[in-house]
Amino acid sequence: MQIIIDKVKCEAKLGETLLTIARRNNIHIPTLCHSDALAGQGNCRMCMVEVSEGKTKKMVASCIYPVTKSIEVITNSETLTKMRKTLVMLLSARVPHNNTILKLRQEYNLPPVTRFKSDDEEECILCGLCTRACDEMGISAISTVNRGINKKVSTPFEEPSTVCIGCGACAHVCPTGAIKIEDIGEERIIWEKSFELLRCSNCGKPFITRVGFEYIKNKINTEIETVCENCRKDAITKKLRDIYGF
Amino acid sequence: MENQQDFQYTRQISQQYPQDKRFLLAILQDIQKEYNYLPRESLYMVQEYMDIPLAKLYSMATFYKALSLKPKGRYIIKVCDGTACHIRASQTLTDEISKILKIAPGQTTSDGRFSLETVNCLGSCAAAPVIVVNDRFYGKVTPSMVKTIIDEYGGIYS
Repeated sequence: MQIIIDKVKCEAKLGETLLTIARRNNIHIPTLCHSDALAGQGNCRMCMVEVSEGKTKKMVASCIYPVTKSIEVITNSETLTKMRKTLVMLLSARVPHNNTILKLRQEYNLPPVTRFKSDDEEECILCGLCTRACDEMGISAISTVNRGINKKVSTPFEEPSTVCIGCGACAHVCPTGAIKIEDIGEERIIWEKSFELLRCSNCGKPFITRVGFEYIKNKINTEIETVCENCRKDAITKKLRDIYGF
Repeated sequence: MENQQDFQYTRQISQQYPQDKRFLLAILQDIQKEYNYLPRESLYMVQEYMDIPLAKLYSMATFYKALSLKPKGRYIIKVCDGTACHIRASQTLTDEISKILKIAPGQTTSDGRFSLETVNCLGSCAAAPVIVVNDRFYGKVTPSMVKTIIDEYGGIYS
């Protein structure tokens, strides 16, 4: 199947989301609550695009809109920019001092929002990506609690979680860097819980929590070496080089 | 305050429902009804029975207004603050109750007998302003009637 995004013809499979197709074809659509590792959420609405099907036009969130027929998509128009401006304005009213949002606000040429009283310390835009990542890890240590203006992301009873493995997936996917993760020597502190870090057997860099390592080992049910991501990549590169004789 | 033994009834409440996620709210509502709040021990028991993450349960328990993690009073006074009641000065009723019971909306008296809540609409706008105590309804309430209403439930001990 073929769809047209910004006048570019793109190959698409049935059920693929517009965002996936656009990304594959190097067409930029701004997102906040999206991670390529996770399914689309449709929370932040930054990825809104215009879909035309014959004579009808509609606005859809590209990260969760599956392609079912040949359509034409516009990722940038006056209406879309206006919508995104409103979104950025609202977000910067919530997190006025967050760098990601600050950059976005400057990108869209928006003035600082002074109409609302805001919490200067707040960094979270409640996109829910962290809870999603935690669920996907199979842990579900964090979730959104309360509702309305009191909504936030937290562990149960706002106490250090009994199930958290300190993998840091939540902090890794967070678009605004709102989740505090601190690695000091062989200790990691996240969600007010302390974890012991294991050192890479090759380069000696602390890279994974002991519980996290055990969890992964149990899950894939094989013995794995304590080798960090960089060293593992190096090893694979070396292997390939040896095979192909570069 | 109930003792540890009493929370065991949670298991019986849970077991009335199949182990399916969609019955979760019903279970939590039943527990809330039984204990007037969701005891921590009960949440752990439900978590075990349903085999779901505690974070999901906590999320639900904090989301719904009908559920509470703190013990609620035996008599829950709900003052309607919907548009019609608001215009008919429901705020003065809240203030009056607050003054008598010495608690703010959302709080419970130290003897655990009264809780004060404001709600957004009780659907009886013609009788505004409206107060509901547990399941009993009072319409066209004036601040001077508040004391009599509270006295019906034993009033405050001084």
